[in-house]
This record gives sequence, structure tokens and C-alpha cells, in this order.
Amino acid sequence: MNLKKYLVRALHRLQKGPGYTYKELLVWYCDNTNTHGPKRIIKEGPKKKLIWFFLTLLFASLVFWQWGILINTYLSYNVTSSLSIGFKTMKFPAVTICNANPFKYSEVKPLLKELDRLIEAALERILQPTPGNSTENVSLPLDLELWNQIPLVLIDEHDRDNPIILDIFETNQTAAGNETAMDNKTKEKKYKLAVKLCSHQGSENCTYRNFSSAAQAVTEWYILQSTSILSKVPLHERIRMGYQAEDMILACLYGAEPCNYKNFTQIYHPDHGNCYIFNWGMDEEALNSSNPGAEFGLKLILDISQQDYIPYLSSAAGARLMLHQQKSFPFLKDQGIYAMAGTETSIGVLVDELERMGYPYSDCTVNGSDVPVKNLYSQYNTSYSIQACLRSCFQNHMVEICGCGHYMFPLPEGVNYCNNEDNPGWAYCYSSLRSSIKQRQICIDSCKETCNDTQYKMTISMADWPSEASEDWIFHILSYERDMSTNVTLDRNGIIKLNIYFQEYNYRTISESAATTIVWLLSSLGGQFGFWMGGSVLCLIEFGEIIIDSLWITIIHVISWCKGLKQRRARARYPDAPPTVSELVEAHTNLGFQHEAVGAVPRAEALPPEPGTPPPNYDSLRVQPLDSLGPDSDAD
Amino acid sequence: AATAPGKKITARLKRTLPVRGPQAPTLSELMRWYCLNTNTHGCRRIVVSRGRLRRLLWIVLTLSAVGLILWQCAELLMNYYSASVSVTVQFQKLPFPAVTICNINPYKYSAMKEYLSELDKETKKALETFYGFSEGKSKVRRSVDDWNSTGSDFFEQIPLLRVEDFSRTATDLHSGQKRKIEGSVFHKDSSIVNSGDSNDIIGFQLCDANNSSECALYTFSSGVNAIQEWYKLHYMNIMAQIPLETKEKLSYSAEDLLLTCFFDGLSCDKRHFTRFHHPLHGNCYTFNSGESGTILSTSTGGSEYGLQVVLYIDEADYNPFLVTSTGAKIMVHDQNEYPFIEDIGTEIETAAATSIGMHFTQSRKLSKPYSDCTETGVDIPVENLYNKSYSLQICLHSCFQKAMVDSCGCAQYAQPLPAGAEYCNYKKNPNWMYCYYRLHEKFVKEQLGCQQICKDACSFKEWALTTSIAQWPSVVSEDWMLRVLSWDKGQKLNKKLNKTDLANLMVFYKDLNERFISENPANTLVILLSNFGGQLGLWMSCSVVCVIEIVEVFFIDSLSIVLRRQWQRAKKWWSGRQRGRAPQAGDVERQGHDNPVCIDEDLPTFTTALRLPLPQDSPLPRTPPPNYSTLRLETAFTEQLPDTLELGQH
Repeated sequence: MNLKKYLVRALHRLQKGPGYTYKELLVWYCDNTNTHGPKRIIKEGPKKKLIWFFLTLLFASLVFWQWGILINTYLSYNVTSSLSIGFKTMKFPAVTICNANPFKYSEVKPLLKELDRLIEAALERILQPTPGNSTENVSLPLDLELWNQIPLVLIDEHDRDNPIILDIFETNQTAAGNETAMDNKTKEKKYKLAVKLCSHQGSENCTYRNFSSAAQAVTEWYILQSTSILSKVPLHERIRMGYQAEDMILACLYGAEPCNYKNFTQIYHPDHGNCYIFNWGMDEEALNSSNPGAEFGLKLILDISQQDYIPYLSSAAGARLMLHQQKSFPFLKDQGIYAMAGTETSIGVLVDELERMGYPYSDCTVNGSDVPVKNLYSQYNTSYSIQACLRSCFQNHMVEICGCGHYMFPLPEGVNYCNNEDNPGWAYCYSSLRSSIKQRQICIDSCKETCNDTQYKMTISMADWPSEASEDWIFHILSYERDMSTNVTLDRNGIIKLNIYFQEYNYRTISESAATTIVWLLSSLGGQFGFWMGGSVLCLIEFGEIIIDSLWITIIHVISWCKGLKQRRARARYPDAPPTVSELVEAHTNLGFQHEAVGAVPRAEALPPEPGTPPPNYDSLRVQPLDSLGPDSDAD
Repeated sequence: AATAPGKKITARLKRTLPVRGPQAPTLSELMRWYCLNTNTHGCRRIVVSRGRLRRLLWIVLTLSAVGLILWQCAELLMNYYSASVSVTVQFQKLPFPAVTICNINPYKYSAMKEYLSELDKETKKALETFYGFSEGKSKVRRSVDDWNSTGSDFFEQIPLLRVEDFSRTATDLHSGQKRKIEGSVFHKDSSIVNSGDSNDIIGFQLCDANNSSECALYTFSSGVNAIQEWYKLHYMNIMAQIPLETKEKLSYSAEDLLLTCFFDGLSCDKRHFTRFHHPLHGNCYTFNSGESGTILSTSTGGSEYGLQVVLYIDEADYNPFLVTSTGAKIMVHDQNEYPFIEDIGTEIETAAATSIGMHFTQSRKLSKPYSDCTETGVDIPVENLYNKSYSLQICLHSCFQKAMVDSCGCAQYAQPLPAGAEYCNYKKNPNWMYCYYRLHEKFVKEQLGCQQICKDACSFKEWALTTSIAQWPSVVSEDWMLRVLSWDKGQKLNKKLNKTDLANLMVFYKDLNERFISENPANTLVILLSNFGGQLGLWMSCSVVCVIEIVEVFFIDSLSIVLRRQWQRAKKWWSGRQRGRAPQAGDVERQGHDNPVCIDEDLPTFTTALRLPLPQDSPLPRTPPPNYSTLRLETAFTEQLPDTLELGQH
């Protein structure tokens, strides 16, 4: 019992709040709060009171609604972009130079001899109007094994619904007869070339990749075959067969400093053979360029020796070059440009950078470590890029499905490149995988773009070089320097001059910054609260305090109610027992509280105390507001 | 009886919710009351401060705070319609754009012979007379003999002239006679005016057919330009008379132009191309025009996965005067966009492989009120003559064509026909050339108003192209390549193709990163309001409630006080006139002012005074209140005006 008393007292001491009833508390709050609305509710007359009550309610709900909007805006993580443009000292881009043709024909001839003979014979067959003659022309017996792995076929489409498939080297007389007969009748071209791809040799599971053009078909077929042959050749051998730096790079000048082929890093690129990268930044610091204009850029003279091209592999002749960032792998098929032989190509560079913010602002990756695709290009020590990711993704699929890696992409560990002997069905598998949209979509979905996207915008212009007047001495000097001979070993078809330099404005950077920061959010929230209600964080704390106070009141009420119940029960049991009001009275006459309550009670428009006479201490006077008195007296 | 309950209700309402006037009897009291009770900071300081200097300081501070708030809020409002730019990069499957390919030469020259023979003859004659050029034996390509020599009066009417110095005389091509030039001289190239040997200036004169004295002479610095321009003028005149079907037949067919086609690793053919007749370029072919309903897309970048075509450019069949360059023109555009290939096409060289890497950028501007652009073009008062989505070019061309039809009565050949109009030709509209040149002059000088009417489109797609050229076919592959391509071209073409008749074109995405540049509203209403709130709070700790208070106090209450004053004065004056007892009423009012409770120094008054216990003590030593009416007057700040009035009337 003592403990209970003590507890109740402690409760009262804690609850130094402004009142013992909810109404008192509320009135006290409204009167003393710093938010602007509530004060007016209790200060004004009844009509205005009502208006102010609804206004306050409206403003409060507006505040909450707009707070919701603001928080939503913040959580959507918007960004704003800022653009800067100008000239600054920048790292000169890495320049990759390749020949459009991967290998010297003179070197690979022994490997491709069979293939070339086959294709020549096939072309003879196709192009000759009468197939009978062609067989006589082929003097040497053809090795049809290579052919039968991936044959080229003619599709006769005279009868659109029922196309006849003709194998070019098949000595099927009926088919051949048909062909000639049709040929004579209709002069229109009705034949199509197709590549026959089978999952296994001799199996029925075959597809025909048709081509509307024979030129395309021949090229595709040749690429498939040569890939198979070259994939068996070891890497150092392939590098030897390609173009050597000293043969290719004849002259080099960076700014005022001379450079030579030793300044280039050699890299083996499956499409283009040996490629040479200037300023890759792998071993040494990247070069800076602090002046715009061709005088301060990179000047190169290249020899692509067009006579040594593989005739069926690459029909376009020129140098392939690409500008890229330091330590990134050059994807020449995507981003590379051509430089034509016999011309001077000037390339003005503008670095177009996009710096983005990572998660949660956008879904990009900083270094590719969070991408679920194993980056096969990391064996070159290069940084992550989206192209690397897509190719790695494809190669991984290829290995998974076909059991061997494609020659154009780097190999995962413990896997070999596909070739016709070991993987007879690889071409079929590759071709179906390549055209599969599902596979591409998977790769697109799993790869992420990098946060910093750098592009080199190029302004390309060309002029004939060397001029007719200077041709002689230039060829002479270059031949002499390269081959130490006085004979001219170079010609117009092989020589390329390149100028790569920064433009007057060499950078354009779009950088992102968060549009909504936490500071922004707080100031906006504060602004909203202030705008509608003149409130601040302290007002919220006040409100919280009131809630705690009301909780106390509730607790006190509950306690007293429980006590009352107990007493009533006790009274019912012992009807004569004296009522124990002392605790109740104690609660009401809590001195500490009463003192404060004086200030709180004469709220609103209480009657001013009569001067001279002491204010009557009746409850009724306190309860009755003056407003109700006023009209009454008016009515009198 | 029906009105009784209503009255009862209103009476009850009046009793429970009485209408009250302002709480202070005078304006200064009201202000004082306001300053003490308002939630805004500063105002209270003015009233509470002691000392004139300090009070003045506070007045200045408060006023400057108000001024700052107004200024800043105005600034915020003015900057409300500003946009922030965001750039997003998306890596995704990209729709392949439409690629329109044209031969530079519009029609096969051999087929056009019957239409152009006279014009060509005339041109050759001009070349011979002015420059002494005659087709050498080596260049004889067509026989001139079979041309019927019925020179139309049309050529005579607009002949080429040799302008003699500045004497304003010209030698006619036909008659050889000299004639005086009247009217104004337009130089297509203004620099020639200063050049020394101006006696070789070639030009032509256009006259108003109805009024021959009004003529314009067009001169050119070079005979090449003059002859071409003159030829074009007549050529358009001839072409305008040929129906579209015939023209399509005269031009190249898809089989003629496209030798091979390869897209995304798969073979394609002429069915993937849509024919589109361009007035200046003849038959053009659009790849992936979207007309079949599907738009092709690429999911891999790189040259292998783009469009690869080999074009057959029949150089031998070129019109020697109309086009002087060889090759093809291509344009990359959106499926909904009209290809203005003559304006923004890229030229393709023959005997070369042109590789075009694309980078896709999509931009979007905010329309009104942020910027003056149009979403769909429906709000532009120019009818879209092209059957494609709106663009600025379309608008300008349509606008010019409309002006042409309005002022010249016929339509210009290079643009589509508006409804009910037909192309200009000399037979029907003898005046059109003069009219056209005049109109074009005006258009270029922005006098037609087209540049003012036409607006930018709000969103546009852009494919940035990186073009590079390689030699093709290479020396060693030339032989087989040409043979196979000849076979492709079909057996009907027995001769081997020449490499200068071929052009290889590759169009591909460099990467699948799509840049999307969009403008977003920098401000929303919520942000504007928070900024307002921030400003109000920063300078004065004010809120909407304060604004309402200000409206209440400074407008409603002040006004009602003023009105009350006026009313009282009027009443006083009236009662004074009635009974001559006006002074009494004034006494009573002054009594209200002199009420000792009211003039209680600085200490809180009115309602605050009522709340504070202070007045309780201070009046104690004083005399007891005189009567109840003053007591009531003391509380009169909460009372209505009629109370005081009633007093006055007593």
C-alpha cells in the first residue's frame, strides 16, 4: 500500500504537466505552442474559433501531404546535370592502330592454300553459266573434306514453294542438268547461295543460312572456315604471321618529340591481328597534351601493304584505328574508324565525358565488380567496359552450350577454341547462338554500363597524300628507312598519314550531382512547416510532449478509475465502511500542480478580476466564459 | 409560421456565434494589439522597445525584413518556370533508325532523253557560245543529231545572258544582240561586284510576264553556277509536267540500286526497303521505314550487326548538267521523320567502303510555359504538307509552299503539293519563275514570317554519325569481288562491273548506350511553397497564418474601424443636428480613450492584459470603478461597436 502511494506521488511529481484533464492540457498547449494556428483557436470568438479550427486542421493536413511529396521526391534520387566545356591539359587518348587485314597473306598462304583453291573452284562453278566446263578447269583434285564440313550450296528458287538445293561440288547429273535448263530459260537471277550448317556431319539437323548476295555468302563462309583453321595455330605463331610494328609504323611524331614503333604496345586482336597501342598507360605514365592543334598532336605514317592482303577475308583496305581511354581494351569493330590508303586523315578530338553518380541515383557500375558476368578481358589487365562484358557474356554462353570458345573472344580457363576437327558442329551451334535474341537479351540484362562514360568525338577530314609532286621523294625516303634499300618498296595503296590532335575545345563534361540532398529535404520540410503553420522541430517536440502528458493523464485516470472501482466494490461489500477519499483529494489538491493551474485556468476571455474586490473563488465563475455573459447582458 | 423556425435558428446562431468587430476602438490601438499578439517577430519589438532610436531601428529592421521577403519571393516566383537538365544513359536494345538511300542522280539519263533533249541542246549551245566549249570526240556519249530543233519560245524567254561590265547591257544567247537591262540586279554571289574582270559575268533575267518592265537579273561569279542554276530552273519546269508514276519508272528501281544487303548478321533484300519518291533525288529507298509495322532493333553494337549494303551507282547514266558529283546520299532518321535528304544527307563515295558509326541521343524540352516549342505541331498555323510528324524543316517548307501557292498560284516542284494546287509549269503559269525567285529572296530574308511562325519541336531524336572511309574493294580482292557482284546483279548484266560504280555502306551503332537529355521542371509547387516558407520563416518567422492575420488586421479590421469612425461621426453629426446634443457623445468616446486601464504604459493591453494577472494588482489602490458602463467599456475591445453607439445614444 505504501509502495502504491509512493508510486502515485512519483507519478504526480513526474507529471508536472499543465493540467489534469485533457481539455486543460489542450487549451494549455494551444495557448503556449509556437505553431501559429492553435493560438487563434482559443483566442478568438466562437465563430472565428470555428474558422481557425478548420484552418489549422487544413494547414496541418497540407503540411503532412506536402511533406509526403517532398520525402517521395527525395527518395526518387533525382540528379541534376551540369555541363562544362573548354580546354584543359588532358591525357592524350590511347590510340590503337591495326591493319584491316589480320595476317600477311604471304605468311598464312600455306595454311589457307586448300581453302583458297576450294573457293576459287566453287566460284568458277557458280559463275560459269555451264557447269560442265568448270570441272575441266580444276586441274588438281580438290580436298573435299574441308568443304564437306561446312558446304556452300546453291538454292534454286524458280519454284518458290519448292526450292531445290544444289551442292556445288556434287556430281549429281540430274541436279546439274536442271540447273542448266533453268538457266537457259529464264534470264533472271533465281539462285541464292547458302551456307549449310549441320549439328553433326551427316546428320539431318541442318540449317541453311541463305544470303541474298553471293559476295556476302562467300565472305561469311570463308570467315567460318578460316576461323576454324587459324584457331589451331598457337598465339605466338599468329603474332608472327601478323604485321610487325617496324613494318607498319614508318614514322611517328608526338608534339615536337619523335617517337617510333617502340613506343607502341603490341596487342593481339583476333579481328585485326597485331594491333599497336600508343599511350596505353599500362607501364608508363599517360602522356598529357596541353595545346590544341595538329602541331601538338600525334602524327603517324603507316604502311598497310595492301598487296599482302588475304583476298577473301577482308575486302576493305585501310588502317583501322580507335581512340580510347588508357587501360581499356580497344573494341575496334564497334568504335573503330577506317583510314584510307593514299590519304592524310586528320582527326580532331573532343573528349565527351559523362560522370554519373552510382547507386542509388542510377544503375551503373564503377569498376564492374558487381556485374554477374566473368570479365574475360581482365587477362589483358584492362578496365571494365560494357563491350567487354557483352563479349565475355557471349563467350561464356558459347562455352556452356557449344563446349568450345569462339576464336574472336578471349578464352576462359581450360577451354579451347572451336575448330572443325574437335567440334564438328561448332559452326551450327555458333550460328544459332549468335542469332538467338534470348541470349542477347540475357547479356544486355546482366551487363551494366559504367558510371563514367568517355567518348572521343572525332572530326575527321581527309586529303590526298602524298601529293603528286612530293610522292617520289617521300616514297624513296620511307622505303630507304624501312628496308635499307634504294628501291621504292611502297606505293600509294599502302601508305597512310594520320594526324590526331585535340580541338580548340577539348573537353565537354557532363557531371551529375544529386538534385535532392538531405539538407535540401530538411530545408524544404522546414519551409513547408514554416509556410503553413510557422512551426519548427521544437513545435514537433512540444507536440510530442503533449502526447506524453496526455498519456500520463490517461494513466492517472485509469488508476483513479481502478481505485474507484475497488472502492465501490469495497463499499458494496461493506456498505458502512467510510469512503477513502483522501487519495482522491490528494490528487486534486496537489499543491505543485494547483499553483501552475492558476496560470492556465483563466484562459480565453475570462472576466477580468474586479478591481478592489477579491475575485470570487467559485468554480462556476471560472467555468463560465464571458462570451456567454456578453450577449446575455445585451439581451437585457 | 414557416419563417419562424428559420428566424429562431438565426437568432440562436447570433447568440451562440456572435459577430464581432475589431477588438480595438482605434487604428493605433489595433496596430498595437496586433504587434503585441502577432506571431511574426520584429513587430513586437517595435512596441516593446523603449527609446525612440531603438524603436526606429526596429521599425527599419522590420520593414527591411518585409522588403527582403517580398523581393526574395518575387525572385522565386519569377524563376519558377525554369528547367533543370538531366542526362540519363540507358544501355538497352535500341531501335534501328530508318536509313534512306538515294542515288545522287535522280533519273536515268538515257530514259530522260526524250524530255530533256531540247534543254540539253540549249545548254550545249550556251556553253559553246559563251565558253567555246564543244563536246570533244572523246566525250561524245550521245548523238545530238536526232534532236528535233524546234526551239520553244520558253528558252528564248529566259535565256542565259552575258553581262557586259557595268554598262548594264547584256548579250543574248539566241539573237546575240545586246540589250539594256532594266530592273534590279541580284548577285547570287555578292563578292563578284568587286572583282576585276566583271565582263565575263553570266546570268539570266527573270521578268514579270504581266509587266515586262519589272525584271530581275541574276548573275553568278562562275559560269558553272550560272549554267547549273539555269539548267535546274528549266529542269524543274519540265519535271513538273511529268506525272509521278512516269517519274518513278524513269528513276532507279530497288534492284538497280541495291546489290547486296545484310542486317544484324542476316541477309536482307529489297523487300526490307520502302520506296519513296523524292522530287530532287528521284527514287529513294528507306530501310526499316516501319511501314510493315515492325521496327527492327539491334541488340549488339558493332559493324557486323548493323546494316551493310553495296550500292550500284550507274555513273554512265548520270545527267551531266544536273549533278556534277558521283555517289549516293544517305540519311539516318526516325521512322516518323521526313528525310530532308537534299538538306542534311551524307554523301557516299564510290569505290570505297563508308562506315558510319551512330550514337543515339534523344532530347526532350519542356513545352510552354518553360520554352517556346511545340509537341505535335497542331498549334502551328501552318498546314503540314508532309505526311510525317512535325519538325521545324517541315514547317518552313510547308510555309514557303503555302506562300508560293498564295502569291504565285502554283506549287514549287521540290515540295509536296497542298490540296487543290498543282506544280508550276511555264505553260500554265508563265510568271512563276519570277514570282518564285522573288518569294525565295523574301523567304531567305525572313520577310515571309515563316521563321517567326514555325517553332522547334519539343522532342527530337538524333543520331550522331562518325563517318570514315576505307578503300573498297582492296586491290587483291577486287577481282573476285567484282565477278561475284556481277553474278549477283544477275545474268542480264553481262559486262563486268566497274568498281567506280559501286559503293559499300555500313551503318551501325557504335554502342547501345542511349543518351536521353531531358528537361525537368526545376520547381514544383511544393518546392516553391517550401521556399516561400523558408524565406518567411528566415526573416520574420511568419507563416500563412500571419498572412491571414495581416489581411484580417490590416484590411478587414482597419477598414471596419475606419467605417465605424465614419459611422459614428455621421451619427454624431446627425444626432447633433437633431437635438444639438453632439458634445455629449464626444465626451463618452473620449472617456473610452482616457480609460485608465487602457493607457497602461507599455504593458500588455487588451486580451493579453486580461490574461495577465498584473492588472489585478495595479488597480487595487485606485478608486473603485465608477459604474458598470465603464466596466463594460473596458472590456469593449471584445465588444461590438453597437455598445459604444448605444452609450452615445443614451
